[in-house]
Amino acid sequence: MVAIPSRVVTALAVETRDLVREYKGGVRAVNGVSLAVASGEVYGFLGPNGAGKSTTVRMLCTLLRPTAGWAKVAGHDVARDAAAVRRSIGVALQDAAIDPYMTGRELLRLQGVLHGLSRQGCRDRADVLLDRVGLVDAADRRVGTYSGGMRRRLDLALALVHEPVVLFLDEPTTGLDPLSRVTLWDEVRRLNTELGTTVFLTTQYLEEADQLVDRLGIIDDGRIVAEGTPRELKAQVGDPTLAVTPVRAEDRARAREVLSGFGPEVLGAHGCVAVRLAAGAEGLAAVVRAMDDAGVAVREIDLAEPSLDDVFLAATGRHLEGDEAPAPAGPAPAASR
Amino acid sequence: MQRTLTVSLGLAGRNLLLVRRVPSVFIPSLVMPLFILIATAGAFRGIAALPEFAGESYLAFTIPMAATMGAGFAGINSGMTLARDLEGGFFSRLQSSPAPRLALVLGPIGAALVRSAFTTTVVFIAGGIGSVGLPGLWGTLTVYGLAMAFAAITSCWAIGVALRAKSVQAAPLMQVVVFLSVFTSVAYVPQDALTGWLSRVSEWNPVTYILNASRSAELTGTIVWSETWPGLVAAGILLVVLGAFALRPLFHLER
Amino acid sequence: MSWDGSAARQTGALAWRSVVTTVRLPQAWVPALFFPLVLMAIFTASFGGAPGNIPGFPPVRSFLDFAVSGAIVQGVLIGGTTAGAAFATDIEGGFFDRLVASPVSRTAILTGRLGASVVLGIAQALLFVGIAELFGADVAGGPGGFMVLLLITALFAVAVGGLGVFLALRFGSAEAVQGMFPLFFALLFFSSAFFPRETMTGWFRTAADWNPISHLVEAMRDEVVGGAEPGTVIAGVAIALTLAVLAVGASALAFRRRLREAP
Repeated sequence: MVAIPSRVVTALAVETRDLVREYKGGVRAVNGVSLAVASGEVYGFLGPNGAGKSTTVRMLCTLLRPTAGWAKVAGHDVARDAAAVRRSIGVALQDAAIDPYMTGRELLRLQGVLHGLSRQGCRDRADVLLDRVGLVDAADRRVGTYSGGMRRRLDLALALVHEPVVLFLDEPTTGLDPLSRVTLWDEVRRLNTELGTTVFLTTQYLEEADQLVDRLGIIDDGRIVAEGTPRELKAQVGDPTLAVTPVRAEDRARAREVLSGFGPEVLGAHGCVAVRLAAGAEGLAAVVRAMDDAGVAVREIDLAEPSLDDVFLAATGRHLEGDEAPAPAGPAPAASR
Repeated sequence: MQRTLTVSLGLAGRNLLLVRRVPSVFIPSLVMPLFILIATAGAFRGIAALPEFAGESYLAFTIPMAATMGAGFAGINSGMTLARDLEGGFFSRLQSSPAPRLALVLGPIGAALVRSAFTTTVVFIAGGIGSVGLPGLWGTLTVYGLAMAFAAITSCWAIGVALRAKSVQAAPLMQVVVFLSVFTSVAYVPQDALTGWLSRVSEWNPVTYILNASRSAELTGTIVWSETWPGLVAAGILLVVLGAFALRPLFHLER
Repeated sequence: MSWDGSAARQTGALAWRSVVTTVRLPQAWVPALFFPLVLMAIFTASFGGAPGNIPGFPPVRSFLDFAVSGAIVQGVLIGGTTAGAAFATDIEGGFFDRLVASPVSRTAILTGRLGASVVLGIAQALLFVGIAELFGADVAGGPGGFMVLLLITALFAVAVGGLGVFLALRFGSAEAVQGMFPLFFALLFFSSAFFPRETMTGWFRTAADWNPISHLVEAMRDEVVGGAEPGTVIAGVAIALTLAVLAVGASALAFRRRLREAP
């Protein structure tokens, strides 16, 4: 009987170098990805469908062999020491693959058996996890009767049976309603803060990336095109946009004159004057004073940070959520520009 | 080793649970061997008047074939379940867990063994209703054993196909090969009574020897060694070859 | 439902479509050819010693002569199930609604499907008899007997096709139609399709006596092996005709019911 792996303390939970996955026909789904995720971090992969997110995750979970480059998870090489990697990771893949004919409790116990827990261990762990993800009442119902959100929570619980050091979540909230999405985010955050579990997730939702991750890699066409904390990334793209709406329409010319001293003008919504604030958000106070000095009565001032979509646009020349219709209602990036 | 066993049992248990809970799987697995027994023994019973049968009851003659076919269905079903798991992603969950690779195949094979024991029991009960009793302790054990061996063989075949095709679309390939392997052996009459192409094909078909051994046990009620050893050899060879066929792709799945 | 010249043309067009979609989809016709032929080959090789050696076995030249009619009936059963499932797929997929919403004659939707079943059934019979002839079988009844064989095949194809259409209209799912297949198969095995009734005993014999498929197959078989008695042939044709009329009637009623729900 193999015990639950003790929490291996390594500086890096996930590390890859020039990782490549080539499919038959020479298509490179992943084309030279190098990244490092520190222990205890929540790292996110943001990108459109087919960008190489899932392929990367499948390599990190030992489901696919890298064509070139290497990857280490919890300090173990995914190709050479797959068994050790498997002991360290929890996996919830995109297609929440759950038997509809089994109950949540049965699936959790089976997962415990797969990880070599004792009979009693399986039982206890199932109880703890059902409670943790709020499925106690539904534990003995067949999974076929679960809602989408319940399935994802069960999927998450299944990935946690052996207290993994690194948790992989491939598009954990795709297809979920906003409420279920938030519930799942809370759970992931709680895992990260309470247990220190490293989380590696992929998403195509801007809001999810914004709200949930510590650090973000933007992936497109098999390559990481930008990386950093959401805040850093947005800062890199440029300055926040400041939109001023004067009370009197005839003051717009004056407002424009005043604002021109703070940055280049950009196209704003109807009735307002907008500039890119060169001094950053800290420049707001000066703008307000200048308006006051010029005698422009202001009805509304709107300061908008660049969105992650702007980051994506800057890095790839395309919008992320253009053709992805079922995007959640996040901070609408275009509203104040 | 013990871990492989534990995980295999866990996976076999899950397979059997699915069989019990899904009526569209459970009912055919119960009905098909019964149907084969009754339809064959009912429709063709007249053939037992041929001298090659030496006066045996055709129902008793058919029991080993029905048990073998039931075992074949059990094996096919293990492959189908695996194919569905591969298609649906459940197998990815198994694959990314530290479960021993061998257990991922031994589990479904174990489920097929249990199911074939069940279908063989059903066939024996039906035989009993048709007033063919159990063929003594050793005869009965031999029929059970060979049916379970055939279940292991066919599940290896079906699992090997499933692991390569990774799709339920491969189901006809799993089924047709198993059906043909039984029907091109000595399914309906003893080997001496076969004519034309089938008398030659059945000679080369290993299932012929498995059926002959099972039949000898059923009809004589003891183990006639000269009839039994070719069956054991045939089953052993098939198990080794198809076992390798099933296990090989397991270690190259990440490719 | 009305019938005029355009309905005949529409029937032809819809039958043509059904035949073409069947031919282009190997999964639709391979089983209907493969299984009957393989079983015919295996039974012929297994029971080759039966004629002349088994008490009660009718006098035949070879077991192959005996087996070919059963194979045709089996092929029509498998083909009919596939056709019924295809019709259900049309209903599921919306092609049926598109037809109903068009000015196509209501009757043609039904007769088109059944026409295709007849064409495919006859083609199957010709192929099976042709292959059996290659291996030494012979239709002893001559051209007249052969026509009787084809007539029963066609009527039975209408019966099975009509039943398939009926099930498709009632359940509207291909899976439900396919689910009936084991029942058809049981009906086939509990008959004299593969072995003579004269050698059966007990309740199995009773079941085969009452099974209409026994009488169909025996009428066809008599034309192949020779010495057909008028009574057997008339009974076979009459039963095939009755089955066809019942199935078409049932499918027409189910059709009308479905149309009433969506006028």
